[in-house]
Amino acid sequence: MLRFDRRLFLHFDWALLVTLLAVVGISLMNLYSASHVGYLGTPPYVKQIYYYLAGGMLMLAIISFDYRRLLKLNYLIYGGVVVLLIAAMLFGKTTMGAQRWINLGFIKLQPSELAKLSMVITLASYYCRKDTGKGFRLLELIPPAALLLVPFALIVEQPDLGTALMLVFVFVSMTLFVKLRIGTVIILLMLIVPLVPLAWKHGLKPYQRQRVTTLFAPENDPLGAGYHIMQSKIAVGSGQTFGKGYLAGTQVHLDFLPERHTDFAFSVLAEEWGFAGAVFFLCWYFFLVFLGLNVAGAARDKFGVLLAFGVTSLLFWQAFVNMAMVLGLLPVVGMPLPLFSYGGSSLLTNLAGIGILLSVRMRRFSRGGE
Amino acid sequence: MRQLISRADQINEAELLTLKKRLKWASIVLLAFAIILVTRLWFLQILKGKEYFELSENNRIRLHWLNAPRGMIADRQGRPLIANRPYFNVTLAREDAPNPADLLNRLATILEVDVNELLGRIREGEDYPRYVPILLKQDLDWKKLVAIENHLYDLPGIRIDVLPSREYFYENLGSHLFGYLGQINEKELADNEGEYQRNDQLGKLGLERIYEEQLRGEPGRRYLEVDAQGFEQREVSVQQPLPGSDLKLTIDRDLQDVAEDALGSVAGAAVVMEVATGRILAIASSPPLELNKFVGGISRKNWDAMQADELKPLTNKATQGQYPPGSTYKMVVALAGLSEGVINADTTFFCNGAMKFKDRDYHCWKKHGHGTVSLERALAESCDVFFYSVGMRVGVDKLAQYAKSLGLGQPTGINLEHEKGGVVPSSDWKKRRFNQPWHEGETMSISIGQGYDLATPLQICQMTSTLVNGGIRYRPQIIEAIMDADGKVAKGFEPIVDGQALGKAHSLNLIRAGMVAAVNTPHGTAGIARSSTILVGAKTGTAQVVKVEQYKHLKEKDIPYKYRDHAWFTCFAPAEKPEIAITVLVEHGLHGATGAGPVARRLLKEYFKGIRLTKQKEGEVEDEGVEDNVAL
Repeated sequence: MLRFDRRLFLHFDWALLVTLLAVVGISLMNLYSASHVGYLGTPPYVKQIYYYLAGGMLMLAIISFDYRRLLKLNYLIYGGVVVLLIAAMLFGKTTMGAQRWINLGFIKLQPSELAKLSMVITLASYYCRKDTGKGFRLLELIPPAALLLVPFALIVEQPDLGTALMLVFVFVSMTLFVKLRIGTVIILLMLIVPLVPLAWKHGLKPYQRQRVTTLFAPENDPLGAGYHIMQSKIAVGSGQTFGKGYLAGTQVHLDFLPERHTDFAFSVLAEEWGFAGAVFFLCWYFFLVFLGLNVAGAARDKFGVLLAFGVTSLLFWQAFVNMAMVLGLLPVVGMPLPLFSYGGSSLLTNLAGIGILLSVRMRRFSRGGE
Repeated sequence: MRQLISRADQINEAELLTLKKRLKWASIVLLAFAIILVTRLWFLQILKGKEYFELSENNRIRLHWLNAPRGMIADRQGRPLIANRPYFNVTLAREDAPNPADLLNRLATILEVDVNELLGRIREGEDYPRYVPILLKQDLDWKKLVAIENHLYDLPGIRIDVLPSREYFYENLGSHLFGYLGQINEKELADNEGEYQRNDQLGKLGLERIYEEQLRGEPGRRYLEVDAQGFEQREVSVQQPLPGSDLKLTIDRDLQDVAEDALGSVAGAAVVMEVATGRILAIASSPPLELNKFVGGISRKNWDAMQADELKPLTNKATQGQYPPGSTYKMVVALAGLSEGVINADTTFFCNGAMKFKDRDYHCWKKHGHGTVSLERALAESCDVFFYSVGMRVGVDKLAQYAKSLGLGQPTGINLEHEKGGVVPSSDWKKRRFNQPWHEGETMSISIGQGYDLATPLQICQMTSTLVNGGIRYRPQIIEAIMDADGKVAKGFEPIVDGQALGKAHSLNLIRAGMVAAVNTPHGTAGIARSSTILVGAKTGTAQVVKVEQYKHLKEKDIPYKYRDHAWFTCFAPAEKPEIAITVLVEHGLHGATGAGPVARRLLKEYFKGIRLTKQKEGEVEDEGVEDNVAL
């Protein structure tokens, strides 16, 4: 149980909380613009407020929980998530050709979202228990790679390429962070590079391939394939320096922009607030990520460092992939902008992640968990 | 845990420091990626901003949803029952119609409809964003389609949508089973947020509703470039829809057809089930639903008329109709009697036409009695006195246990809507239901399937199957396979065992023999199913609807329809190795053999092609009736 310790309060990361609130505020304001007309029943921005409240409570619960217990619980969490992924495969709800949801009544749970966080916890625990001083050899990478592969395969099967790639990104970031031997890196590159064309041919579904080719389709053919990317780029670009004004984005309100409150929420912001608004938002957002790294730097133990680094890298990669997709730099994969796009599962997962960061930071001077 | 961490810390405090030093590199990577994004924003918004702004001003690319071809429904041999044909619908995108009043007037002339009808459609959709198309007219015929296509340039905002819709190969065949499709309503739209568009069709009843998710598929998208007036210039890109899965049923089309045809216009139900798997080969309820009255929303008038109809077309009588099982219940009593040791194959009772209990005479349907009867003859000739005697010795609560083990008193679990479970009374049940103690006189009624007993035709069919297949209670199922768009079987048929009949195999054999005797002995009540080529076993049943003294002495034809007895007929064949069970119920059909028997006869004939059934001469049939036996 949480013993009240004055130091816990003293070391609370107020900067992180304030930055988070700023991002949340911008998100809700933007979501209102994207979703206040044309919805039957409760509009998304109202639902999102409920999700934020639920996420806030989840965060509080996580803060009061010593993160070091995760080290003990990690295989339980890992196993639970794998079971949920299998359940989603067997009983899940199919949307747009992918099995992603389990309907719990009050929320449509996407176990693949939980898998991201559980991957971070699992790898942090694994690397924490290993001596990482000399860097990993190739064979030593097999156990953590196996830990990655199980949820990865289940998520690819759904298919949810975005989330599956996110697991790989987190794995690569954390493994590089704990250090690989230079020889290992070279061998891996030699093994992986020839695999790319194979994966292209057999690993991807036709629509996924189409999305990638679309990206490289000539830019000077605005009516070519790739409606999503094209419309999103038009939305962002037409914002110009200062934007079209709040609630005045034509792309958004004339329904040219699909999925505008979920994956493409950032392009709504860029259309209505322009370059100035987008960069302003980016500053807050990247400051949030930077504060995550800061937590890693301030952590007292190796597990804390790894955990904070993992959570931060997860946040960062999701954000980067989403924004790059919205700006037409990466193919369209299902990837919400963490803490910003509409969607309960993603929001709860990422707020839980922030909760872990706060927990690590608060306990930088307390030793032992019990 | 503390040990783990402190060891890691102490052994390698230096390691912690190197890790933290590496964070500096992470920050640099972070900065680099931020710069990439800002540069890209600068490129799009500042450098190319004007260009994109102009594009956004002239943006004329529209997204149209393409409905996926709905899955087909086929019978067990793969013969299509319901497929799709294109419907041509007229829709209006208000955003693109600068002068709607004038437009609608012209459209009404072409369509030869009242302009107010079109205006009404628009009013219904008024609350929606202006780009959402409104359905004005469904299923255009060819002539009007051509007329509109010719005038399309004078009709800005009007579009012809091609919608795959249902084509029924056999009108009203299996209407209760298949159900129908209708336009999505407000509530359904809100319940399935984001998954359906306005104007979409979805299953409203029956298999169309139950398997909506599988049949529907995934809609595709079509991107069109439109000019400033909203006219389509060209197609920009298409994402093809994913067709729905096909349903292959266990239903045999010919058998289903015969069942419905044989029932004709009377109110009733017929069920044919494979005894060793639970496959339903036919399940009919009559009169059929007139599906064409439902498409596009049923009118108040039609609905009221259907509700008031004393033939109750809205009820699927096979699964939702609950009737006293009458003499078909005697198999339950026989099973309980044999298994509880109350009787054996040789036990006899004397029937003089009635049995006295507490100063009341409980009659046998045969006024002058059957004389000395054993089990086999009692089943064959449906002697009531024999079963009163057995039932009284077994007792109501034991009877209930056996009835439940045969599937009575609970829904069978077939995947159809609103299935009823019937009633198997027990003393506990009566206490709960009416807060009254059980009277022994009521056990008399129960023993011949009257009183509180209620069962659906499907339950009696399942019971018959269980009795003759060695006592295994298979769940009735109607889906042979769900096949995805590539023709791959996504889910195939597997028998489901829901229970086991209480009692020994020997008891089941004796009951089977009694049912065979009912068909094949001179005085058996079920002679109508007799065949010289296949040995059939059967049991008739006549269920009293209500005890009404005043009609007692009337000729049958003079009894008002709703007071006439229900007719049951349940049979199986071939007796040596049963393949199917057939159960027929005809509401107010008066007598089991003559009321329901002919339907079963035709089904036997259809299933066992080439079977020779013995001709029945008029008036020669030994047919049971019902005496006034119900203790009310």
